[in-house]
Amino acid sequence: MKAKSFTKTDVKHQKVLLIWAAIITVYGIIFYYVPLVGWLMAFQNYKPVTGILHSQFIGLDKFKMLFSDVAFLRVIRNTLAMGIINLVATFIMAIVFAILLNEVASKGGKKVVQTISYLPHFLSWIIVAGILHDALSASGIINELLVHFHIFAKPIDFFAHEKYFWPIVAFANVWKETGWNAIIYLAAITSIDPSLYEAAAIDGAGRWAKIKNVTLPGIKPTIMILLLMNVGNVLNAGFEIQYILGNGLIQKVSQTIDIYVLKWGISQMDYALGTAAGIFKSVVSIVLIVFFNNMAKRHGEERLF
Amino acid sequence: MKKKIVSALLVTTMLSTVVTGCGKQAGRGGAVNADGIKEFTGFFAVPGNELNDDNDVQKILAEKTGCTVKETWLTGQTAEEAIGTLIASGEYPDFIEAGNGSVQMYEAGALVALDDYLDDYPNIKNFFTEQEWDSLRQSDGHIYWIPQFSNIQGEEKACEQNDEAFWIQTRVLEWAGYPKIETMDEYFDLIEDYVEANPTMEDGTENIPYTILCDDWRYFCLENAPQFLDGYPNDGSCIVDPETKTVIDYNTTPTAKKYFEKLNEEYKKGIVDPESFTQSYDEYIAKLSSGRVCGMIDQWWDFAFTAGDAIKTAGLDKEGCQYVPLPITIEKGMKNQWHNSGGVLNVSSGLAITTSCEDVEGALQFVNDILDQDLLNLRLWGVEGVDYEVDENGVFYRTPEERKNCADTAYKAAHLCPYSYFPRWEGTSTDGINATRPENQPGEFYDGLSDNLKKCFDAYGVETYVDMLGTTPPPGDWYPMYTFSQTMTTSTPGGTAWNKMGEVKHEYLPKVVMADDFEKGWDEYMKVYNDCHPEDFLKEMQEELDRRIEAAAKYK
Amino acid sequence: MNLQRRFKKISGPDLAFRIFNTIFMIVFVIVTLYPVLNTVAISFNQGTDALRGGIYLWPRMFTWKNYTTVLAKDNLITGAYITVLRTLIGTVLALVTNAILAFIVSRKNFIFAKPLSLFWVITMYVNGGLIPTFLLYKSLGLTNSFLVYVIPGMISAFNMLVIRTYMRGIPDSLEESAQLDGAGYTTIFLKIISPLCKPVYATVALFVAVFQWNSWFDAMLYNRMATQYTTLQYELMKLLSSVTNQSSSAESMKNAEGSITPTSIRAAATVVTMLPIVCIYPFLQKYFVTGLTLGGVKE
Repeated sequence: MKAKSFTKTDVKHQKVLLIWAAIITVYGIIFYYVPLVGWLMAFQNYKPVTGILHSQFIGLDKFKMLFSDVAFLRVIRNTLAMGIINLVATFIMAIVFAILLNEVASKGGKKVVQTISYLPHFLSWIIVAGILHDALSASGIINELLVHFHIFAKPIDFFAHEKYFWPIVAFANVWKETGWNAIIYLAAITSIDPSLYEAAAIDGAGRWAKIKNVTLPGIKPTIMILLLMNVGNVLNAGFEIQYILGNGLIQKVSQTIDIYVLKWGISQMDYALGTAAGIFKSVVSIVLIVFFNNMAKRHGEERLF
Repeated sequence: MKKKIVSALLVTTMLSTVVTGCGKQAGRGGAVNADGIKEFTGFFAVPGNELNDDNDVQKILAEKTGCTVKETWLTGQTAEEAIGTLIASGEYPDFIEAGNGSVQMYEAGALVALDDYLDDYPNIKNFFTEQEWDSLRQSDGHIYWIPQFSNIQGEEKACEQNDEAFWIQTRVLEWAGYPKIETMDEYFDLIEDYVEANPTMEDGTENIPYTILCDDWRYFCLENAPQFLDGYPNDGSCIVDPETKTVIDYNTTPTAKKYFEKLNEEYKKGIVDPESFTQSYDEYIAKLSSGRVCGMIDQWWDFAFTAGDAIKTAGLDKEGCQYVPLPITIEKGMKNQWHNSGGVLNVSSGLAITTSCEDVEGALQFVNDILDQDLLNLRLWGVEGVDYEVDENGVFYRTPEERKNCADTAYKAAHLCPYSYFPRWEGTSTDGINATRPENQPGEFYDGLSDNLKKCFDAYGVETYVDMLGTTPPPGDWYPMYTFSQTMTTSTPGGTAWNKMGEVKHEYLPKVVMADDFEKGWDEYMKVYNDCHPEDFLKEMQEELDRRIEAAAKYK
Repeated sequence: MNLQRRFKKISGPDLAFRIFNTIFMIVFVIVTLYPVLNTVAISFNQGTDALRGGIYLWPRMFTWKNYTTVLAKDNLITGAYITVLRTLIGTVLALVTNAILAFIVSRKNFIFAKPLSLFWVITMYVNGGLIPTFLLYKSLGLTNSFLVYVIPGMISAFNMLVIRTYMRGIPDSLEESAQLDGAGYTTIFLKIISPLCKPVYATVALFVAVFQWNSWFDAMLYNRMATQYTTLQYELMKLLSSVTNQSSSAESMKNAEGSITPTSIRAAATVVTMLPIVCIYPFLQKYFVTGLTLGGVKE
């Protein structure tokens, strides 16, 4: 079977694939691409009454406005920074957790731990942020411990200092989503042929060697795909958690693009601004994806397309 | 195989039950249902209490008026988003309260002009004076919405200081022998003395002398005191000098500086809670609820119904942990205006009827009918003999059981139907005896007071929270200016400045209070503040002030 | 004793690893279980009392009030019925369509495999916004209908890519030998590939089911007036919104015995929605914890 050439026999043979692909593509165009007409709103003084077709055209005004606003550049920085920190932290934690869980000898223990680990996923950010805020406040449990063990002389208010904010947000993400994110890796680990472990054991491999030589390579395609997908999401660093945990003192590091859009766009009935920011995020995401996808291609790794 | 067939059948039946049946997003336009009742729909772009479909009072009201309104409320969206989608879809409910989106609804041609109809509906017509109706006219000269609230009929019945104040716990006043406290300095001296003498509560937990709520939009607890300290009322975004009719920025007055310098001083002394600027609203309420906080500035509604309730639940009212307001100004002998009498007509939004409504007359007839006193009683008090009782003098009261029921969420949803975003009267009933709402009924008020409050009120020779402060009439026709600043958007330089000022104050005011060197911190704040061009904002406020004064002059 | 003997068989580094791993898991469980237990405790605690804070793992003033309030919500049964339905139908539809798409793009000799992948990858990062989407659904007749829950978002690039990655791990030799036997793509998909994909199907089914189960925004946006299509979560959101609204009004003050608060209701609602998922989870879990024996499948 030749991979590259495309002949009439292929068409005949792949007819069923082509038909399904066509149907699914039509679906995709309708539900994902048609709404993109809405992007026109970024170039208009959009009013719901005149609609997308008849609103006043304003060209690139909104983009110029965004990129000349120091505050917008600052929220890009914050979003990127938190996006990257979150990505690295949640990503690594999920993989480490999945692998270590797989190494738990007792089957019952494995099931119990796994069931518990994904539960925080079902708590809303309000709940998680509330508990975290309590724990980290000047009179909270963390400060009590730190002072008790003489790590700090007196309690510090973690939310009054800009430097703590990004790590706190990353921790919150890890806390809430590690177990949930690990599910994919656990599923991937199941596809690894057990005989590979047996072979490794015969070669005298210890735990660590097995993880390094069997488990990790086995789930590498999954890791690569998720990594690539998440890289495209660095600008979607979130909204709720930063909004709930932030305060006036640290607003310079806590505000993300989404908060900016809410504040200056939606709550002002300025649809163009929000749309322009959305387009900016999409463009950055796609550029990142294409770049990293090509890099993966060059290294012969699993890739998105 | 059999299993497969069964499951396939199951899915098909399920699908058919869901796909059939129809809903209707748009107004039902007063379509008559099987019981002969006209059904309307209403959307209110505010969070609200959802009623059960078979709500008791709603049914009684339907029998009396021949109409019912299925109400839906804002959930998980901003009003702007909800209204934006509605307008884009072009299908509306019959009734709408569009909040900040009202002007957008009007511009979209989605609302029915009401002025031609008004004469046929006396209850609606009489709801406002000619001047008030005129103030509701939009740019095309028509009236599109009816503000529902703060419209006082007869004697005003206000017992609670439902606004902002410097609050203090009764135990502090009791300890000091109920002194007369009039200035900010006296207020803080009192707290300092008290905490020095009583560092802890009865159970040994440490007192928090003074805390400041600063969470998100609630940071008014930090920032807007200077207007009150200077003896002005709550115009919200600026001071209006009643003599010269000019707008003054309260952020930069000498009083503002004194106030923040005082806070800075108290912060250094450890009187101001060091967690003030990072605490969340929940944490603030938790502190207040534990009875540890001696004093703070806040709006009554912002803490009383949560922390106030919790203090009572925990029995801390016996320890004197409830709050009373104090008439504080910057200097002695100034007139304070923490409490203003009279309602505030908010012209920026109200109940409107949309172009999707096919029976405008029927809809207005309904609004007219539910303003009748009997129906108002049903809406606001409930059913006589079930939700309230009438004594031999015609005074309404509730038994403890009724009070408990009426505070229960499930009972409210199943039984009570206030039609809360339809117009209603405040003040006194047409019977001249009762308050229109139980919350303002004096008897209901006194029965709810704990002993420590009664003792405190007695000591000062007053009967209500409001008496602690005194009441002043509204300063002028322009009042309050915040109804204008609320509607400002970044499409004007003034609106942009207003937004930026808010952001700067949010960040720098806490820094000023915590600054090691107050003067330096203040200068830095002023520099950044002036970069926001507050003059643009003040200019637009002045224009609006002039416009309002001019508009009011026509009726003099 | 027995334990000691067992450990003796294990080499030094392995023992260290095992101890480390056990400690890690214990710490992890404590840290992740805490917020959940805290929520359960608050859900059983009287609302106004909980405002004072200081509730950790056990309620201070026990009450059923939060649960009775949640369960008394009007339309809750309708909402639960629709939610179960959308979860079942939505999961089946999404699983079937995503699996088909993943199958197509994972065929190495399919000519459009790459463009089709790119086409879907892009959908993850673009979004036309609320209003255009609303108008589209309306013109397709999806508003005021059940279909709006299961048709849009049915195929998602994320789920498709997860399945595709898994399918690519299946050796080509299987497909090739089937083709030699004269099997078409339909047969290969149904008889050869899908049975091997159970773990990843279970994963995606879980993702979709949880998403469906928790959804409420679509109910609010597209079926606000069509109460017969309300969902469980939307009803709970409305209740929460009502309670939040009431807690800032004078009426709540009169309840001397203390009452519910947004926090207590949120906790109870969270437990109520979480419980069914916790109960169903073990049935799916076997697919990705125990592991399937693929013996002989790998090359």
